[in-house]
Amino acid sequence: MDIFLLSLSVVCAGGLFALSTYRLFRLMKAGYIALTLAGCLIGLYAVATTLQSDEVVTFSGSWLHLFTLSFSLDALSAFFLIPIFAVCPLAALYNFHYMDKAADSGRVAVNFFFLTLLIVSMALVATADNIISFALSWEIMSLSSFFLVMHDYQKKETRQAGYIYILFTQAGAMFLFAALALAYSYTGSFALSSFATMPASIKVVVFFLALVCFGSKAGVFPLHTWLPHAHPAAPSAISGVMSGVMIKMGIYGIIRLYGVLGATDIIFGQVILVLGMISGVLGVVYALGKQDLKKILAYSSVENIGIILIGAGIGMIGIAVGDMVMASFGFAGSLLHVFNHSLFKPLLFFGAGSVLHGTGTKNVDQLGGLVKRMTTTGKGFLFGSLAISGLPPFNGFVSEFLIYFGAFHGLTQKGATFILIMLAIISLAFIGGLAISCFSRVFGLAFLGEPRSPEAAKAHETDFSMTFPMVVLSAVCLLIGLFPDPFVQMAMLGLKSITSLNLVETSAVAVVTQNLGFAARIFVGVFLFTVVLRKIFYRQKEIGSGGTWGCGFTQPTVRMQYTGTSYGMSIVEFFRPFVQVRTYYSGISKIFPGRTTYESRVDDIAEITLVDRIVTPFVFLLGKFRWIQHGHIQLYISYIIVTIIVLLLFM
Amino acid sequence: METYLSLAIAILAAPLFPGIILKVKAFFAGKKGPPLLIKYYILAKLLRKGSVYSTSTSFVFQLGPIVSFATALIVLLFFPLAGANPLLSFHGDVIVLFYLLGIGRFFTVVAALDTASPFEGMGAAREVFFSCIAEITVFAVLVVFYRLTGSLSFAEYFSGDNSISLMSDKGALLLLVIVSMFMVLLTENSRVPVDDPATHLELTMIHEVMILDHSGPDLALIELGAFYKLFFYSSFIANLIYPLSSLSGFSSWALFLGLLVLVYAAIGLTESIMARFKMNLVPQFILTSFALVFFASILTMGVFQ
Repeated sequence: MDIFLLSLSVVCAGGLFALSTYRLFRLMKAGYIALTLAGCLIGLYAVATTLQSDEVVTFSGSWLHLFTLSFSLDALSAFFLIPIFAVCPLAALYNFHYMDKAADSGRVAVNFFFLTLLIVSMALVATADNIISFALSWEIMSLSSFFLVMHDYQKKETRQAGYIYILFTQAGAMFLFAALALAYSYTGSFALSSFATMPASIKVVVFFLALVCFGSKAGVFPLHTWLPHAHPAAPSAISGVMSGVMIKMGIYGIIRLYGVLGATDIIFGQVILVLGMISGVLGVVYALGKQDLKKILAYSSVENIGIILIGAGIGMIGIAVGDMVMASFGFAGSLLHVFNHSLFKPLLFFGAGSVLHGTGTKNVDQLGGLVKRMTTTGKGFLFGSLAISGLPPFNGFVSEFLIYFGAFHGLTQKGATFILIMLAIISLAFIGGLAISCFSRVFGLAFLGEPRSPEAAKAHETDFSMTFPMVVLSAVCLLIGLFPDPFVQMAMLGLKSITSLNLVETSAVAVVTQNLGFAARIFVGVFLFTVVLRKIFYRQKEIGSGGTWGCGFTQPTVRMQYTGTSYGMSIVEFFRPFVQVRTYYSGISKIFPGRTTYESRVDDIAEITLVDRIVTPFVFLLGKFRWIQHGHIQLYISYIIVTIIVLLLFM
Repeated sequence: METYLSLAIAILAAPLFPGIILKVKAFFAGKKGPPLLIKYYILAKLLRKGSVYSTSTSFVFQLGPIVSFATALIVLLFFPLAGANPLLSFHGDVIVLFYLLGIGRFFTVVAALDTASPFEGMGAAREVFFSCIAEITVFAVLVVFYRLTGSLSFAEYFSGDNSISLMSDKGALLLLVIVSMFMVLLTENSRVPVDDPATHLELTMIHEVMILDHSGPDLALIELGAFYKLFFYSSFIANLIYPLSSLSGFSSWALFLGLLVLVYAAIGLTESIMARFKMNLVPQFILTSFALVFFASILTMGVFQ
């Protein structure tokens, strides 16, 4: 624990350093990055020692002489700490050239400081061992990320996104406090470990109350609507950290709570599984309907959270029905996908940030041909796209495979459980197919073909500090795909903390992962063989170049290219009742028509429902009470006095 | 030994069978048709040529043929023919292989988008849409197979003692699977009624339009990969129909190849007597295949309870 606390202190020192030296812009950035990197490396060392030994280290201190804050570092915490300590320093490094306006130096320093707070609070959430410390660090995490989203507060959209985010996160926190208070009223103890003693019916209530909070943080459909607002508004490195690491704290909450409750009812698994399927499929469909590069990535986070929840749901159902192979592989797939997503999602967000930096736009229908001008970014984005589509030989496939493996093993179940598991397999397959559509679209439109706007034509590659994190993340994505064994075993180690789960033998897991790695390496081998074969075929051949075949049309323009809207529209329309496509057409009225316009947009059904069915009636209802608030301070004081008298009389 | 022999047959003979489709179509049209070895001649012609690359393209365009060929080739390494064990196999290989076909599709699609041609973009959009529906049929088929055999590899499905067979007591379910796999075959290999490989109008194409700008050996790799893919799906169906597991050696090969010719002839027959669907009817066609398998998997609940 000492090493862990040391690492947090060093990270904290980085934030304070940035605040105190903001006048020296470059020194501040360099010092901040160095301290964050050092702190995170120390943290990774602490995590590695915890994962290898079985002992749980704890730390506690008193707060306000009233509460005890206690933290413990066990295997599950350690697993969730890895992405925090591995990805955040890369984001800090990415910031070096991304935040390159020396005039904003003060604002940048504040941004760095809150990033530090976010890293530390996430690490504390993952290690919190009682109700107080969990709620406290959870709130620090939410608030620090709010300030990170508000970096560009001069823009109206950013402020709006920030307010939506804080509303969601605080409303969610209310549910969390309700859940924790309910638990406390039954156990009389702050310790999370005492949760197991609650009556079974209360456990269900606590779990689902907390699920609202964790689900809204993680971006589970229909509580995801803050993601597509907050991610595009935040700076790219922050989007990467929030999407790759912070929303996983919601997943950590779900799995940790499930572990400490020790409940084995099948209802937990069923609900999580169904939520996962809905988030997974609809997340990627909405991603197909959007044009903003970062919005697409935000919706794709919803999709990946869906995959993670499908894995967790399979795991919970496995525990409920006593099928430990299914449970182990489901949970392992879920955890590994948490890790994998924390690699390829920041990679893609960094790519999107470089595109924004290099061209000034993030609308895919304005981009095109970037891979020729931004080679490293383009290759990084290609790797990220392949990995996030869950294609071998990359890491996304490994975790999806484990979930498939667990789910197929559960197919021997009967009745409703069988149907549910079958639906899970089919939705995973569907998500896989849709993800291929979505990311071939993003990569194909933004990076390939001809530039669709002058900005895209003038794109330039970004600096070393921005490309280097992408290279590292791409390499790790491929590495996990080719040699999955140690990483899967790492996820299995993390599962030791769930006491109701009897893990399968290490050797049984090793067989699966080695086969998987073998298949990936075979693919690479055959791929290289084909490359050589092609070289041989092309020896001493004439290679010409010319324009693209225009089907007989001789005056092609770049505006004739297929757009992102049309590429995704047939799939989006396939999901019609769940996705609203609104079109505005001005129509042609006169013999010599004026300017005609046509616009189509894909609207989020969850957001529309939230606004139309919940917020609007609520505002209307509360509007009836506006007369109470009239601005007369004397009357306000009289309210207080009346309240106190009533309380004194009746309580 | 039989393993290597079957792999050699698959790799060398795959371009032969599409010739059968052409012959069947010619027969129905009352024509003589091209020679049976036409596809070999085409491959040889393409391999002799050089290539022209569009100035719009990048390295991604050249990766397209390589990856789609490599993935199709790998599938053959894992696939058993005529009851012979495949070269490689492990529990779970089916999932890996269908995902490998996915990466092949990804690269075909991005190579098409790399040309900046509106037609190729259109074809790419259709391809990803239709194959993602076909994919759920395939995984529903895997669910049925798992209920029948408890395994997740081609080798266990189609070779060995516990193999899937029409003759077994649960064989009736396979009839549904065969029909829907045939529909998946038509979709994934761009045949009528989903796509028309012989059409001449780019607007109506799906797969052909995506490879318009490839030429020479690149195109040969794509074509050969497509032959392997078609061979894989056809042998999948032939393996399902294949009734006897006790046969061995020459007789089993004769029977198997006979069935394979039948499958190809059925494709030719479908192409001769059907017109292609309107684009908006294609999803319904593929969903029909899914509905059939879904029904079959519900029926397995009766078998096991």
